[in-house]
Amino acid sequence: MSESLNFHFTPVDEARPDEENVHAKASTDVTDVIKAIQEQFPGAVTEVVVYAGEHTVFIAGEVFLQVCTALKEELGFTYLVDLAGVDRFREDAPRYEVYYCFVNLKAGKRLRIKVRVEEDDAVLPSITGLFKAADWNERECFDMLGIRFEGHPDLRRMYMPEDFAYHPQRKEFPLLGIPGSLPLPPRTPEGELTMDPFAAAHSGSPAKSYEEPAEHDED
Amino acid sequence: MPVNTSYRDQENIFSFWPRHNETILKRLESKDAWLSTRRGIEISRVKDALEHEMTLNIGPQHPATHGVLRCMVKLDGERIEKCVLDIGYLHRGIEKLAESKTYQEFMPYTDRMDYLAPYANNVAWCMAVEKLANIEVPERAQWIRMIMCELARISSHLLWLGVGLMDAGAVSVFLWTFQGREDLYNIFDEVSGARFTVSHSRIGGLATDLSAKAIDMIRDFATRYEEIIRGWQKLLNRNRIWIDRNRDVGTVSADEAIALGLTGPNLRGSGVPYDIRTFEPYLKYDEVDFIIPLREEGDCLARYHIRVEEMLESIKIIHQCLDRLPDGPIRADDAKKAYPSKNEVYYSMEGMIHDFMYTETGVAPPKGAVAYHAIESPKGELGFYLESDGTGCPWRARINAPSFTNLQGLESMMEGHPVADIVVLIGSIDPVMGEADK
Repeated sequence: MSESLNFHFTPVDEARPDEENVHAKASTDVTDVIKAIQEQFPGAVTEVVVYAGEHTVFIAGEVFLQVCTALKEELGFTYLVDLAGVDRFREDAPRYEVYYCFVNLKAGKRLRIKVRVEEDDAVLPSITGLFKAADWNERECFDMLGIRFEGHPDLRRMYMPEDFAYHPQRKEFPLLGIPGSLPLPPRTPEGELTMDPFAAAHSGSPAKSYEEPAEHDED
Repeated sequence: MPVNTSYRDQENIFSFWPRHNETILKRLESKDAWLSTRRGIEISRVKDALEHEMTLNIGPQHPATHGVLRCMVKLDGERIEKCVLDIGYLHRGIEKLAESKTYQEFMPYTDRMDYLAPYANNVAWCMAVEKLANIEVPERAQWIRMIMCELARISSHLLWLGVGLMDAGAVSVFLWTFQGREDLYNIFDEVSGARFTVSHSRIGGLATDLSAKAIDMIRDFATRYEEIIRGWQKLLNRNRIWIDRNRDVGTVSADEAIALGLTGPNLRGSGVPYDIRTFEPYLKYDEVDFIIPLREEGDCLARYHIRVEEMLESIKIIHQCLDRLPDGPIRADDAKKAYPSKNEVYYSMEGMIHDFMYTETGVAPPKGAVAYHAIESPKGELGFYLESDGTGCPWRARINAPSFTNLQGLESMMEGHPVADIVVLIGSIDPVMGEADK
């Protein structure tokens, strides 16, 4: 049988941009802003996806920093709300994308920008010079997905310790972690470092948190 | 998989993550104190002849750090010159976990994020999924969600007030606010069956309706506590010690607050009227009458005033919600989008199948759908950014946690203050590490 059975529930419907969403907000309608970006930077906007009344504006990586500068200084998007990376994995290259959520406090607008990043050369210009708030978010993005931000003053890992060698939010990273990648304190005073906290799941035996009493011979 | 054995060679077996500490110290040395340099506070570059300089590690286990927050501070005498915060000690990777859970399955995890206001997190998650899958929620459920969200806000602010005062040296208020939290726990218990991690909201509505007893309890709480909170205001608003500990501590101007990305009461304490309840009204917030407390001083005292006033506004909202609570269903009546009622599940075959299907796959938003939905949680803007690949599990679930954003600002705010202000500052920012560490 060449065709494998697929038990996953796969609905046929694609996301429709024209569908009316009951939760859509007026603040996410940013057609004017997109037009302003397109006028100032022809070719910068590669794609605009609409869903649930929200525009996702894809910006070409080369002009990204200029667009951000214009957003902050001319278009009033002074407040950076969120920044995070997405692993696209199953889609066509480029593999990663980083999404930025800006807010214009005066006009009451929320804008989402996305930039795609190649897997081999996962580098983006850092926007910490423009938005101080991007600092930790960029660190988190680097920690979780391994995307480097050029010009970031302090690109350390955010959550994981520096000694950790992987980027855990990449899709290929196993959910139970990699044994030995993150040593934890010993379970007993004289014990070894705990290399695998989920030993049972990796068909090993979990470390005991107590010393076994010595066996008595019955004579 | 390669096993990292380099640690075994270490002399001291307890020295795990040696590089981690090194990099923090290196960062502390090389750091440019942003807020201090902006204000022209000079950091001494001269050789420390009197040996006043000290690098101090506060936390991660310290009662005043509100969880597992680690502050590496460089002191000049008693003044903090530079500060580096290290978080991640409570990192459970729930964004990663979400990718292998159905949307409904993930909801209990949100309880464990901001564990001081779990209901607000439940609602935030459910509303994000509802936006992604375009699910309409019945009126009654929306009003109940609003009541419970505001109770969660009061619950969170009560803890902040009690613990904040305890940090400043006044223990009795802690006991009073915990009495308040105890009353709230009893309400949550009556509503959802759990005191702490409620998990009561469901995608498309709620798990259960409010009982008559629960409504009485909420009304009683709202009536009693308005008086009690005003009593605390009388005690604290003109209290010499409390004002001296808080005034002009951690001052952030409006521009700086925006640049640092502060959110919630911390942002409004600096005079920026950004509150999701009015910025992007969700639920029924555009139909009730309340004000957003705003202060312009930007110091700890302003943040204190804002939070206490917010509690009073919450009580106002709860009263209005109770008066206007309509009758009707509490969950969307569409088996593809929300759980069927227990009556259907127990007494009809279709109901049981739907219940099984909903647990097994749950709601499956269309492929390529993306949505960001934020609510004003007690700590600030709590947003979920979701991407769907057409299956029952999110392809990417991003949590925009307010505590994370606020802690980033705290790192700059601490610089230039005496060590003794650290505890007051951490308290006034009101971080919850469960949320910041994700």
